[in-house]
Amino acid sequence: MDILQQLVNGLTLGSLYALIAVGYTVVYGIVQLINFAHGEVFMIGAFGALSTYFVLFKDTTTVWALPVMIIGAVAASVFTAVLMERAAYRPLRGAPRLAPLITAIGISVFLQELVRLFYGYIPGFPDAKSRIPFPRIDVVTGPAFDVGGLTIQRPAIFTVASLALCGVFLWYFINRTKQGRAMQAVSQDPDTARLMGIDVDRVIVIAFALGAALAAVAGIAQGLQNSNIDFRMGFMAGLKAFTAAVLGGIGNVAGAIVGGLTLGVVEALASQLGSTTWKDVWAFVLLILVLVFRPQGIMGARVVDRA
Amino acid sequence: MSALTRRLTLPLAGGRYDDKSLVIALAGLVLMTVGAFLSWCYNPNVLGNLTLTGNPGAVQIYLLGFVVVGIVLALISRGPLGRLKPYVNVVHGMLALGLWSLAFMVLVLAVIAVQAGGLVNADPGAWISLTGTIVVVGAAALGQTEKTQDMIQLRLAGWAEILVIVVGLAIVLFAAAYALGLNDAATFVLFLVLVAGLATAFARMEFFTWLGIIAAHHRTELLLASFLAAFAFPFTQSGSNANMSIATQVIIFAATAMGLNIVVGLAGLLDLGYIAFLGAGAYTGAILSHSAFATIDWKPPFLVVMLCGGLISAVFGLIIGSPTLRVSGDYLAIVTLAFGEIFRFAMFNLDGNNGPNLTHGPNGIPAIPELQLGSFDFGASHTIFGVVIPRFANYYFLLLVLIGFIILVFSRLNASRIGRGWIAIREDEKAAEAMGVNTFGLKVFAFAGGAFLAGLAGTIKAHHDVSVTPDQYQFLESAFLLAAVVLGGMGTVGGVLVGAVILKLLPEKLRFFSEFRLLLFGLLLVLMMRYRPEGLVANRRRQLEFHEDDEELADDVESIHIEKVS
Repeated sequence: MDILQQLVNGLTLGSLYALIAVGYTVVYGIVQLINFAHGEVFMIGAFGALSTYFVLFKDTTTVWALPVMIIGAVAASVFTAVLMERAAYRPLRGAPRLAPLITAIGISVFLQELVRLFYGYIPGFPDAKSRIPFPRIDVVTGPAFDVGGLTIQRPAIFTVASLALCGVFLWYFINRTKQGRAMQAVSQDPDTARLMGIDVDRVIVIAFALGAALAAVAGIAQGLQNSNIDFRMGFMAGLKAFTAAVLGGIGNVAGAIVGGLTLGVVEALASQLGSTTWKDVWAFVLLILVLVFRPQGIMGARVVDRA
Repeated sequence: MSALTRRLTLPLAGGRYDDKSLVIALAGLVLMTVGAFLSWCYNPNVLGNLTLTGNPGAVQIYLLGFVVVGIVLALISRGPLGRLKPYVNVVHGMLALGLWSLAFMVLVLAVIAVQAGGLVNADPGAWISLTGTIVVVGAAALGQTEKTQDMIQLRLAGWAEILVIVVGLAIVLFAAAYALGLNDAATFVLFLVLVAGLATAFARMEFFTWLGIIAAHHRTELLLASFLAAFAFPFTQSGSNANMSIATQVIIFAATAMGLNIVVGLAGLLDLGYIAFLGAGAYTGAILSHSAFATIDWKPPFLVVMLCGGLISAVFGLIIGSPTLRVSGDYLAIVTLAFGEIFRFAMFNLDGNNGPNLTHGPNGIPAIPELQLGSFDFGASHTIFGVVIPRFANYYFLLLVLIGFIILVFSRLNASRIGRGWIAIREDEKAAEAMGVNTFGLKVFAFAGGAFLAGLAGTIKAHHDVSVTPDQYQFLESAFLLAAVVLGGMGTVGGVLVGAVILKLLPEKLRFFSEFRLLLFGLLLVLMMRYRPEGLVANRRRQLEFHEDDEELADDVESIHIEKVS
């Protein structure tokens, strides 16, 4: 029974990783850029949701707040991601490989500090230098369900359901819409895609926005699960999600989801079998092993040749 | 009409066009000087005392610093220094000088407005000086350069070139000692503006490129002079432990950054977990020390400990470097980041509950005793030549020897077959391999060598800091080191020193910076990559890699290269 319970926990955690990992993979698939600051986009999403709550629904617990919070979170994340693409990454296209990565680290630190230092100055908002409690929302938080001895938390259901919905949406967007096909074309061959009349810059912006939207949903899910958020939450979650993306095969959207779920389950089982303090170490060991021995991941067919 | 009046006549009256610009510039410099000798502010408590007439305060003397360089420029243009005229772009220098002194005056007025409450508190002197700076800017904008030759073709007598080096170093020493002694944040910032302004003006005249060439010609003298200057530094501090503590932190940081520079700057491999090597050295130093909390009962002499720290770090370097056989680029960066995090978690968890007790977990190893080399106690104060050498100054001397060694290793490696191999790998790994460069061996060696040097620094750091804890070695510190390398200039010694000094000194001296330090440095990384990826002190060759289409730069690099070889 314990194993089953851990499996449930692992899938919950994995869904969260998967939602973030999609952002890494979509962007990488199109511009071959590891958007190291994606973890911060996730963090901004959580703060966007919190801000929406404080402005519109302060001191209420109605479930109707949730969709509005999601919209607020997505807006904040997408705005951040598009802005960073436009201001920092786009001018560096064609620069040596080190440049965008160093830029990404700069953005990441900058965004963390921006939230830490200035969030509290906005009237009515709490100080962000320590953890901020995330609001309780009817239906999605509250007493856990008990299904045949398994404890299933309400936020867990929200997380898994979000992943399922987002997955369906992603599949539809990538395979059935014009923009989605343009994305596929650019990821296969940007030059030819440009010759065919595809606006590559626009596709890249869409890729960033798409990843940011999913990360924002993950931000809310994280807030509901842990019932608090802080400015540091993006760093570790981003690294784990990157691990998940690599595990599944970076550049492959389905792979990101599979990789996220796998990583979540592995972590949950590892903490069940061994001690919980070494849990993060195992995640990193897994990351290194995958990068060294199977850089194309579980599902990725893309040949990795990165100089 | 005498020659002088003809020179001073405006073009309308028949004079030559470029004279007009020079005359206006001189007028501006005179205005600046006159202003500096008048009162700038009613309130004697702002920026020291700026209320006196005929007795300039510190900040007013800074402005005179701009004026002095401006006069030198004018003398080059028309006068006894005319021999330099074909080589020096006077107009560019004057423009930079004017703009920075303008910024300086605007800042002064802003400080007066904020601290004294309103611009009404500014006296005419400040406005006169401000007008002067604007006039200089205008004059420089009108001027036309008469530069005909590259500065690098300028050759002085051997003794004169050595004199330039020695005087330059003396100025650096004096400026550093002076800046550390400043306690008022606004004054400190204004001093920085002066330094930055003069540096920019000289850079615009291609003075530093020339300096690089003569430094290459007089390598031994330069090395001797710089170490003499560095050794003289504690004697300028009259026993102040606080300033020496800042200086030691800067050196530890710079030494580590120099090791990172081998990996990032020379071999072009991004390492995001580099702080772990410093940590490995520090933990080795702590565990093998006489601390009551040390977990291993072997107490070798310190030199052996240092070697152990370096070697253990190097072994970590080998482990981290080994994946380079299979991964490169961004993936390698992520692998190193993961290793760095694993190191921190491991140090955190090896506390006896979750694993063998090696590090006392989050509490770390406290109470590391002072270093003792022979009968010399690093914890005690000593008096040399009547000057008190406090605890941190003792460590300062030891660290100076260490960083000297590291710089030596760095520059010898850079100039060797190995260094050329690294540069080849950095520029194009496949081509390098095809040319017979042992890419894997060299890459692993870069990691291991850099790690060894950081490990050495770590063992001293353990004694210097008295305690070692895991949270000193988190990812942000690695990013901070990287920022120092990127800011200063990848692959250069001077650049990394500049970067380390800026990144460590500013937060120590300015409380404002210590709060916004990380925010600013994040922004700095982004802006540097966007506008000057080669860093403040650019290695020309590296610069060319970032600006591949710049034909002029390519010619420049070629001619400098030939110059250096010949």
